[in-house]
Amino acid sequence: MSTKLENIVVKFGGEAGEGLMTAGFIAAKYFQRTGLFVFAENDYPSLIRGGHNTFTVRANTEKIYALDGKVDILIALDKRSVLEHINELSANSVVIFDKKLEGELSQIFTNKNIYPVPVPLTQHSAELGDLIYSNQIAIGSLIGLIGGKLEILSTILKEKFSSKKEEILEKNLAAATFGYDFVKMHFKEPFELPIKEQKKNYYLLDGNDAVCLASIKAGVKLVAEYPMSPSSSILHWMAAHSQDYGIVVKQTEDEIAAINYVLGAAYAGVRAMTATSGGGFSLMTEALGNAGLAEIPCVIVEVQRAGPSTGLPTYTDQADLLFVINASQGEFPRIVCMPGDPAEAFYETFNVWNMAELVQTPAIILLDKYLGESFQTVEIKTDNLVVKRGLLQTDQEMENAKQFLRHKITPSGISPRSIPGQKNGLYVASSYEHDESGYSSEDPLNRVMQIDKRARKLSAINPQLYQPVFFGPATAPLLVVSWGSSKGVILEALKHLNRQNIPIRYMHIKYAIPFATDTVKEALVSASKSIIFEGNSTAQMRSYIRQKTGILIENVCLKYDARPFQVEQVVNEIKKLYQSQ
Amino acid sequence: MVELSQLHEPTHTITWCPGCGNFSILAALKKAIVDCNLEPHNTVIVSGIGCGGKIPHFIKTYGFESLHGRALAAASGIKLANHKLEVIVVGGDGDGYGIGANHFIHASRRNYDMTYIVQNNQIYGLTTGQASPTSEKSMKTKSTPFGVIEQPINPIALALAAGATFIARGFSGDLTHLSNLISQGIKHKGFAFIDVFQPCVIWNHINTFEYFRKKCYKLEQTDYKPNDKFEAFRKAFETDKLPIGVFYQEQRPTYEDELPQLSTSPLVKQPIDNIDIQKTLEKYL
Ligand SMILES: Cc1ncc(C[n+]2csc(CCOP(=O)(O)OP(=O)(O)O)c2C)c(N)n1
Repeated sequence: MSTKLENIVVKFGGEAGEGLMTAGFIAAKYFQRTGLFVFAENDYPSLIRGGHNTFTVRANTEKIYALDGKVDILIALDKRSVLEHINELSANSVVIFDKKLEGELSQIFTNKNIYPVPVPLTQHSAELGDLIYSNQIAIGSLIGLIGGKLEILSTILKEKFSSKKEEILEKNLAAATFGYDFVKMHFKEPFELPIKEQKKNYYLLDGNDAVCLASIKAGVKLVAEYPMSPSSSILHWMAAHSQDYGIVVKQTEDEIAAINYVLGAAYAGVRAMTATSGGGFSLMTEALGNAGLAEIPCVIVEVQRAGPSTGLPTYTDQADLLFVINASQGEFPRIVCMPGDPAEAFYETFNVWNMAELVQTPAIILLDKYLGESFQTVEIKTDNLVVKRGLLQTDQEMENAKQFLRHKITPSGISPRSIPGQKNGLYVASSYEHDESGYSSEDPLNRVMQIDKRARKLSAINPQLYQPVFFGPATAPLLVVSWGSSKGVILEALKHLNRQNIPIRYMHIKYAIPFATDTVKEALVSASKSIIFEGNSTAQMRSYIRQKTGILIENVCLKYDARPFQVEQVVNEIKKLYQSQ
Repeated sequence: MVELSQLHEPTHTITWCPGCGNFSILAALKKAIVDCNLEPHNTVIVSGIGCGGKIPHFIKTYGFESLHGRALAAASGIKLANHKLEVIVVGGDGDGYGIGANHFIHASRRNYDMTYIVQNNQIYGLTTGQASPTSEKSMKTKSTPFGVIEQPINPIALALAAGATFIARGFSGDLTHLSNLISQGIKHKGFAFIDVFQPCVIWNHINTFEYFRKKCYKLEQTDYKPNDKFEAFRKAFETDKLPIGVFYQEQRPTYEDELPQLSTSPLVKQPIDNIDIQKTLEKYL
């Protein structure tokens, strides 16, 4: 009798360079295709070969937001994977591993309640001509052990390898089929997972791809970027889609060039963006101020890695918040958005493009490795997304313009914007302080007027667009606060707390600038206790909230081991606080 | 037809020192714009920061006065966004060969269709007289009171090595000749680079108008042909006498030419209000 599951966690472990990420992703895709909700995250060091990689997939019949719970099936492509992850296994778990390691590993397995599934991975992949096929044999075995459908897997493989030679596809299919048949023949089926109709508009997306898709939808036309983990997949994605969507994607000589390309292109009238991580953003700071001063709208995606300096390139952190809020000399308005999951990354990226053009200023989208590269089943609908370009003037509008003043002082602070090519709109966009016309000016009165004008612009953004998101009853005495990618883990933790009848109100902050000061303040005042969760060592958002509202959140839970929060930790932390009431 | 008077910016006071080599560069540039019949609204003058970087304010076209050293990067973005625009980049030697040298190398090899004029006064003018990448060895400046130790950069050789497709040198003491070089640069399809000897009357007492008048000779008055890269290198390293004129020119497809995305219309003209991403989204099912 196989156990019927509503939730499963599958972990792939192996050496870097073995195709493990692809294998893990195919498994994630399989669950997605069977109508389940998926979350998947990877863990890999900053090197190309060797070193230990993992890819962990969780699937559930209900919506999930993060990994949670022990591993039900471990697919160990090497011995190290067994040794390293054996303690993460659940009570009745399965380990799929290479049959040739059976002798070495059998002792470990008998000591635990593990169902070992040795499969001739190396032997049979060698017969197929390449060890890389081990991955597909392992996935075939996985599908076999959960009562899965080989046809669904075959379809995914066909899509995946459609651009490759026929022979490669054939061998991948043969490998998967072999694994599937092998376990069917030699092992009982330990688990059974439901297979459901796939839901409409639900996609398996990571944060970086979500930003790309939304930017394409928003009409980005120029992407200039210098590679830097964990932002590089944005460069790769954009480059791969550049001809389909008619956008120019330029890998520049450095990040300084990238941001200045963006400024030039945006000045010339297109939507332009760059993406980087903290190190590259550091190099962009001077130009960020130029965009603010010259009122050039643009989007900068900062995918945080663990810093400082080169730091931990492939690991996550939330320690650049105050940096992006304050980066660059002088004072100017900017937008800082911290989406919490791929769906928010999609919708907020789209919104941010409109906001940036509305207020003619730079916008920063702050992601991190965990959000940028973790996959989640999310609902995406594009029907109601409308591109709004603010006061960008059409050629027609400029036809009769007289004495055009690019930086005209207006009640909202926003001035009509001409672009090169338009008659009657000539002006100089400058990195110097300037008067209404754009001409350099050191006049003290003008200086104050221009500073105030620029600062005023943020008020033009509809406050509904940057409110925090609340979960749980508004009357709950305990308020949990977080920002950015911690959202998913906290939502999973709330499920546990809910089951234990511990009422929690949760506030997820999506925008640092503009900041919903009143709402945040009110939420903090009405809670009898509050706690903030942050992926940094100095509680940056807590300082920022105090600066904005005057209120100090008394409890903090900080994680700065360069790994995302774990559900268990969050649950325990909140319970501790709840019980201390 | 554009007229010179149309380019005049009457309200902006020119802030250069009397006798500055930049006056004739400004005049030469204006004349080239008229000679090439460029429309002011379809022309963007991009500069960096330095004395000469103020030039966009003194000509009535579109302008972008970017950060110190970043003119070429900003100009590249402008060109990619709207390749129908005429893009002319102007900046000092500190701007282009010091802080912005990396962009100079890469813009050259990419062969964007733009013109880059360097006001090379072999000194940092705006910051009151420090050594520049082209200051001569042993030259005493505020930052090198005991003399410059390192070798100066050779801009012509650098541009040749980096792959610029039009490489010339002018002298701001010869306006007509300079203006003609700029016109040729504008008409050249590809990255046109013009290094200009621009005496700084305040901070550089070595490389003066007098100095250049004695040393310069015109390449076109010799039997030199600017079509051989190796010959051009040889010319670039002549120091007893200083050649001005076109060192090298070749035809090579521009970066923009190679982009199918730009074949129908400039990016800025492509509509963005209703882009359908459904097909791509479906890959995520
Ligand atoms: C990032 C940065 N560093 C330094 C400066 C100060 N600065 C302004 S112009 C300049 C050099 C000017 O020399 P050059 O480019 O040769 O132009 P010139 O003034 O001689 O025309 C410097 C160092 C600056 N504006 N920005």
